[in-house]
Amino acid sequence: MRPFSFESVTTANDAIAAGASGDGGMEFLAGGTTLIDLMKLDVMRPTRVVDINALARTELGRIDVQRQGLRLGALVRMAEAAEHADINTVYPAVAQSLRLAASQQIRNMASLAGNVLQRTRCPYFRDVSYEQCNKREPGSGCAALDGINRSHAVLGTSDQCIASYPGDFAQALIALGAIVDIAGPRGMRDIPFAALHRKPGDAPDIETTLQSGEMITAFFIPAALWTRRSVFLKIRDRESYEFALASAVVALDLEEDKVRDVRIALGGVATIPWRATAAEAVLKGKVLSARSKRAAADAAFADAHAHEHNAFKIELGKRTLIRALDQAAAMEI
Amino acid sequence: MDPDRRKFLSASVSTAATAAFARALNAEAAPAQPSSKSAHEPLDVTIVVNGRERRMALDPRTTLLDALREHLGLTGTKKGCDHGQCGACTVLAQGQRILSCLTLAASVQNRDVTTIEGLIGASGALHPMQQAFIDHDAFQCGYCTPGQIMSAIACVHEGHAGSDGEIREYMSGNLCRCGAYPNIVAAVNDAKTAMASPG
Amino acid sequence: MAQANAAAPAPKANMGQPVPRYDARLKVTGGARYPSDVAVNNPAFAFLVTSAIAKGRIMRLDLLEARAVRGVLDILTHEDTSDLKAGKFEGGASTSIDKLGPDIFHDGQIIAMVLADTYEAAREAAYKVRTTYAPVNPSASFDADGIEVEDATKVSARHKEMPRKGDAEAALATADVVIDAHYATPTQHHNPIELFSTTCVWTDYQLTIHEPSQFVYGLKAGVAQRLGIDADKVRVISQFVGGAFGSKGSMTPRTALVALAARKLNRPVKLVATRDQGFTIATYRAETRHHIRLGAQSDGKIMAYSHEGFEVSSRPDPYVVAGVEESAHLYDFGAVQTKVNIVRADRNTPGFMRSPPVVPYIYALESAMDELASNLKIDPVELRRINDTATDPIEGKPYSSRSLMRCYDEAADAFGWQQRSPASGSMRDGDWLIGWGCASAVYPTHVGVATARIRLLANGQVRVQTAAHEIGNGIYTILAQLAAERLGVPMSAVTVEVGDSMLPPAPVAGGSNTSASTCSAVLKACDAIREKLFRAVSTINTVGGKSVVSEPTLRDGKVVASDGMAETFSDVFKRIGASALEEYAEYVPPGVKAEAVAQLYAGTSTQTGGPHGQYLMYAQGAEFVEVRIHAHTREIRVPRIVGAFAGGRIMNPRTARSQYMGGMIWGISSALHEATEIDRNRARYVNDNLADYLIPVNADIQQLEVILVPEEDQMVNPAGVKGIGELANVGTAAAIANAVYHATGQRVRELPIRLEKLLV
Repeated sequence: MRPFSFESVTTANDAIAAGASGDGGMEFLAGGTTLIDLMKLDVMRPTRVVDINALARTELGRIDVQRQGLRLGALVRMAEAAEHADINTVYPAVAQSLRLAASQQIRNMASLAGNVLQRTRCPYFRDVSYEQCNKREPGSGCAALDGINRSHAVLGTSDQCIASYPGDFAQALIALGAIVDIAGPRGMRDIPFAALHRKPGDAPDIETTLQSGEMITAFFIPAALWTRRSVFLKIRDRESYEFALASAVVALDLEEDKVRDVRIALGGVATIPWRATAAEAVLKGKVLSARSKRAAADAAFADAHAHEHNAFKIELGKRTLIRALDQAAAMEI
Repeated sequence: MDPDRRKFLSASVSTAATAAFARALNAEAAPAQPSSKSAHEPLDVTIVVNGRERRMALDPRTTLLDALREHLGLTGTKKGCDHGQCGACTVLAQGQRILSCLTLAASVQNRDVTTIEGLIGASGALHPMQQAFIDHDAFQCGYCTPGQIMSAIACVHEGHAGSDGEIREYMSGNLCRCGAYPNIVAAVNDAKTAMASPG
Repeated sequence: MAQANAAAPAPKANMGQPVPRYDARLKVTGGARYPSDVAVNNPAFAFLVTSAIAKGRIMRLDLLEARAVRGVLDILTHEDTSDLKAGKFEGGASTSIDKLGPDIFHDGQIIAMVLADTYEAAREAAYKVRTTYAPVNPSASFDADGIEVEDATKVSARHKEMPRKGDAEAALATADVVIDAHYATPTQHHNPIELFSTTCVWTDYQLTIHEPSQFVYGLKAGVAQRLGIDADKVRVISQFVGGAFGSKGSMTPRTALVALAARKLNRPVKLVATRDQGFTIATYRAETRHHIRLGAQSDGKIMAYSHEGFEVSSRPDPYVVAGVEESAHLYDFGAVQTKVNIVRADRNTPGFMRSPPVVPYIYALESAMDELASNLKIDPVELRRINDTATDPIEGKPYSSRSLMRCYDEAADAFGWQQRSPASGSMRDGDWLIGWGCASAVYPTHVGVATARIRLLANGQVRVQTAAHEIGNGIYTILAQLAAERLGVPMSAVTVEVGDSMLPPAPVAGGSNTSASTCSAVLKACDAIREKLFRAVSTINTVGGKSVVSEPTLRDGKVVASDGMAETFSDVFKRIGASALEEYAEYVPPGVKAEAVAQLYAGTSTQTGGPHGQYLMYAQGAEFVEVRIHAHTREIRVPRIVGAFAGGRIMNPRTARSQYMGGMIWGISSALHEATEIDRNRARYVNDNLADYLIPVNADIQQLEVILVPEEDQMVNPAGVKGIGELANVGTAAAIANAVYHATGQRVRELPIRLEKLLV
């Protein structure tokens, strides 16, 4: 950990002012489960840490279930949202994605915005003794390409980076068409969640579209016919406390056995939170059958690109999606 | 904040929220927290540990775990990975279980922190969870045990000890390399009854 | 008082009481002091810098930026540490690679150590050390260019001959059925939850080392040798060890380094290595490969067993476990031929990890046994029965005791094995495929030279002293129980001191010999005290004024004659004119030379047993598992496991059950989870943390049943105890692999069994 100055802010204005100071080495500290971890590993080296946890007592810490949708303050802790009764009933995939992530201790600490912004678990990114990592050191290369890449992505990769996005909650947000509220030195704005993360492309070091000094203040999930029939399915080697090998969020609006509308997101297999629009298109208006489900799964992974150890994720991802479709269809609502 | 500089990238259903957030901008959320303007200046940190106010001058980088162990001599809380992967450092902060290895000491200023050393009553009586761990032999080497016990107490308080399956899931953030898991589940089951009874 | 529960099984024949642990209160209150918990005055904090390449040479170490970090006191590199003598591999040191460079032999080799006023400063400076290497392409493991394969008997000091009997090739040629299969096991790391730590304090040329250790006398001698000082100047204290599993048995390079630093700074130095550093600064279980051929008659009788093993080691050190030395005795094989090869690669030196020889070799053999059973359409349990033996298939020696089939029968019964439908893929519950499998567990019974000192006070207080090691094995507890029982006092009157090289020496806590060895020494010392008391009584020839009839005993703090007449210890002590009786005893197992005691004092532990004595001495067991595999996504879970084990006298059924339980969970872990991933191009460990090196979490373990099978064995040692700490993790992986085959029809011959291997 490099030396840093530490300050706690008690008003959102002060937080934004800290962001506005133009200090490129500034990081906001919320739960710390990513930041402190990566600072100890020397991967993140802020010179100024601004603790925003006190803001949890403002709007930023509030859960609001409204008729138009679900508003989640950025500093709501994962555990609180995961246990929220209305979220479990009306947005089950949201609750499940939070409950199946990490451990209760981490869920008590981690904020929702921090969860969404967590960094990849790529071991070559997390260990500064590897010289090659384009995400850490632009232009240095990618050790994962010819290294151990079982956990890496098959969707959204580039020849610069194949690190997978590790989070679960983001899959629920992207599937359900969430909107992100952002505050920063230049004011407030909101963007579709799908516009928050950037594919690695030729700049894997730039992971989001957040500008310097900006902070997420809330997520808004619009109410929709499909949210109640939504599931998050996570496949992993052990039963708990592990990142996904593959995951899927499916939200279904069924008319009898016909798909009126569907939202699909995939996790563990992609470089960013991944909405599978091609799979959605295959299913819209169709009856859910073995054939249509398989066709949707094939469409979801049509552009997949595997490396030495992660080829299985293509088939696993497809089967995970099919299982999630089955689970959603079988839900009693 | 100049409203003209607000930039909307999408037709927004969430303007109500940004307005609400704008209202919150000036709201004072909490009493003043410690600040160091220089990276090399020690921070004056006060934490209420096991009911006792403890004041320390700390390098801002000091984690709650290292503050407990190296500055306060409270070595019951263990370091097993230092990266939030094993749960050995679990303590309660404001009654909630957290990982002290991923918590900066400075960010729990003025908070109540309970460690394994804080469980014993004045008479020396064990907490029911500690007794249950003994009765069910819920440890071997004992290194992960303080973290397991703190986690288990929180598990019961959270209402996550309803069934064996639920206990297993909600105790999965605490690794035990000796493999005492079935005994830990039995201990939590046993202690939850004792914890529910008054006194 | 503990209530009746599964953790405290009622004792059966030849078992002690399931009393709660002696150290339980300390462990649940945070009061147990593990070495890094010990407070020392004004310590400097150390942080290691390790190599980022696996092979080559350090060209330049730029320390400028690191030294400029506020609070940094010093940085040790190979230039400052040339005074340290080389440790002796297999002579107490885990590796001969103990220089900080400039030559690099493996990934993560220690190349520098930063010392600072605070941990935070030391860590910051360590990241600021700039190293320029001249790297050479490394050979990571099997199949890499540049590896060297050697016959183990030609290079290992410990393994000069491998088991062989008859003409296996001829028997294979005439067998009705031959199973010819290859198996593989990965690199695994112990990963005790306690990190590797060392704190060194010098006072007046005396060095005190606080370090978690499985052999305090060995560490003391080893560090003294490396520092070139008298071993009497060194004391090692390790009263609680936070899990070890073999990783803390030998001296690793860091200890002498910390001692040197503390001497240089004239200040205590504390090192707590990081989790990732633990993967390269200590040992691990080597990657292995196996070629097995089993030839059998159509009735299941095995005619030939051929096993060739390959084990990865470092370039300089020929570490090898050669588990054929154990597996060759398991069944009535007929002809046997075995061979073991060492594969030299650019890796750190492997070492003991829980049941070192048997885990990989029995996994391979028990997998092949299941293949043979299914090929012959014989129930796997019956195949073991057909080939059961009471004598050594190699030399014809008798087993001191053997309860393998009793274990099978009890476990099979509890598991409900009879309900198994033999065809693979024939059992299913909705979307979950079900498979049932079983395998044998076996572990050689070792016993070592040990010493102990016992003191009995007139008030009935007892102190037991022996430098044994509390690694979760419950040694405090069983020594207290044994002394209490032998001296007729309540357990609460007994104080036990272990884990300190100032105490009489005990052997390395390895090979599961601790109970057998230290109990034998403690028994001997207790019996000497009993003898003195009895003699005192018989000299007067009266107890409470009446004649002693015969066979006195000690009970409730009294000497009691068989007719019930009794006299308190304090009365007897008064008569003798003593206020305390103290006895020191040395236990030397049969066949071991008397000078082995002096060697133990000098840091060398001598053990015997297993196949090496007049009898074959082994503990045995049988494990049955149910696996569930999702029909579509193929994740594998183990909802149920039953193990039955016979381990001679069970000192405490509670601690014994826990050790077996932990072993079975280790077995599940090695079958499904554990593997250290090595980057083949860079020869570096990639998943060197507890998020990526998977071990089971609580939710992975559901129903687990341990059956303690009563067994009496008068031959193994005076305590009648077999080692059990390393029994239950043997065979589990094979049982699971066999169950996976039963569920899916897919034979996975490489561990761990992960879902991608079943996604076909």
